Amino acid sequence: MQTQPRPYLGFGLGLRAQHLGEILAHPPAAVDWFEIISENFMVGGGKPRRNLEFVRERYPVVMHGVSLSIGGSDPLDQDYLQKLKQLAFEVEPAWISDHLCWTGIDGVNSHDLLPLPYSEAAIKHVVARVSQVQEFLGREILLENLSSYVEFSGSDMPEWQFVAEIAQRSGCRLLLDVNNIQVSAHNHGFNPLDYLAGIPIDRVWQIHLAGHSVHGEYVIDTHDHAVPNSVWSLYGAAIRRFGAVSTMIERDDHIPPLPELLAELAQARAVHELAIASP
Amino acid sequence: MSTALAELQKTFFASMRDVAAQTEQLMPSLAPGRHATPEIGLAIYQNAYSSRLREALGNDHPLLGKYLGDTLWQQLCAGYIDAHPSKVRSLRDFGASLPGYMTVTEPFSVNPQTAELAQFERRLLDCFDAADAPLATWQSLLATPPELWPTLCPQFHPSVQLHRADWNSVEIWRALKAEQVPPEPNAVSANWLLWRDPELVTRFRCLEPDETQAYAHFCAGGDFAGLCEALQERHQAETVPGVALGLLQRWSVEGWLTAWS
Repeated sequence: MQTQPRPYLGFGLGLRAQHLGEILAHPPAAVDWFEIISENFMVGGGKPRRNLEFVRERYPVVMHGVSLSIGGSDPLDQDYLQKLKQLAFEVEPAWISDHLCWTGIDGVNSHDLLPLPYSEAAIKHVVARVSQVQEFLGREILLENLSSYVEFSGSDMPEWQFVAEIAQRSGCRLLLDVNNIQVSAHNHGFNPLDYLAGIPIDRVWQIHLAGHSVHGEYVIDTHDHAVPNSVWSLYGAAIRRFGAVSTMIERDDHIPPLPELLAELAQARAVHELAIASP
Repeated sequence: MSTALAELQKTFFASMRDVAAQTEQLMPSLAPGRHATPEIGLAIYQNAYSSRLREALGNDHPLLGKYLGDTLWQQLCAGYIDAHPSKVRSLRDFGASLPGYMTVTEPFSVNPQTAELAQFERRLLDCFDAADAPLATWQSLLATPPELWPTLCPQFHPSVQLHRADWNSVEIWRALKAEQVPPEPNAVSANWLLWRDPELVTRFRCLEPDETQAYAHFCAGGDFAGLCEALQERHQAETVPGVALGLLQRWSVEGWLTAWS
């Protein structure tokens, strides 16, 4: 498996059903690429696959999964991996990503992205599984950092060290969700700039931008709000550290009209350009 | 894999599913929170677990939820989530067993039109994203030498599904879809066929008795000659080929068929 330099796709959006009509009618020039949820397209055919073909003919696409369970204790799901590989064969994505988490146990899926203890044992466990997945897919994958609401007493290092070690030892790349860093920094009381400083520059291939909700003492990663100032600020810091990284707005709920997301994407370009110009 | 990690994940997930005893066992594994207790942090995961699965069921069954009303819908979701923990990778498939669950669970089982309504909505979903396949045209049949026609075994498009109804569940669905008051449940048998047309629009219609017989015949691997023989139960022998060909022509135009043999 060959190691590639970081590709740069520009500024993208998550492909959401609510916007498909507009995208099919008038493919927006302001969007450089789209991210799809891999599982949504592991279906036989029909409109989902037809629409994806349309988008793929016009834009670069990256695949983003939610079910790999790279930190899980069940054996890797070979059927799922086969479907992922087949979809990648058909879509030819720029890259494939999933989350640095576990999603279930004993064959039962929580459909949530659950945190791991930040320990050497967990690093070894995840690295071995990333290697299996990369070997099977024949390509590097990207792993995304989570937002989390609990920490484990068995953790003996900060999250960024855990993430960095896994990326360096396994050879995988990283999808940094800047909002998730901000959320976890609040919930667990660390400095988000320390997080960025602990991440190796060459590992970061993609950035997610999103919003969150404040619920009492906790900040919850709902991905259902506009990108707040705190996340824009941290994004600028990330670009100053990592350089030009493909960036997208990820809205998962309360999906606004497309022009609203395009406006956020324009803001991302502006923040990005400013950060590149003043490192 | 480290047993310790597996045990931690088992306990954590059991706690997410709101098993009180497991939560007590999990607590020593959680570090004190900076802003709130680990119990509150865990509650976020517990709430997310059930709400995400409820949302998936709601997305798949918008009209069933409307028909049942909020109280019964919440009861259905809670019972199903508890009885059928997800074994699938995609939330699209989580509710696949919901109709079956309703047939054996009160109060839904004593109102059988509700399970039928759920089954109909599931079939619409399955039809929507079933595999693609090239369609067999009527012209291609006409180009087939007539001496081969007796052995024809038409193949159905992967989106084609039969919905056997013992109740007026489809009429209830239609009324709800049109935002009208649904009819009272009524025991009435009908065979509905769902398919995706060439424009990828999901369609359904009630089958005539000949069509029901022909569909079952071809699904069982029967050929055109066998169908003609079977149709003689209801038709004069000389009219049977015309009736049978009429069915096949309609089906091919509607986009039900992918091959003639």
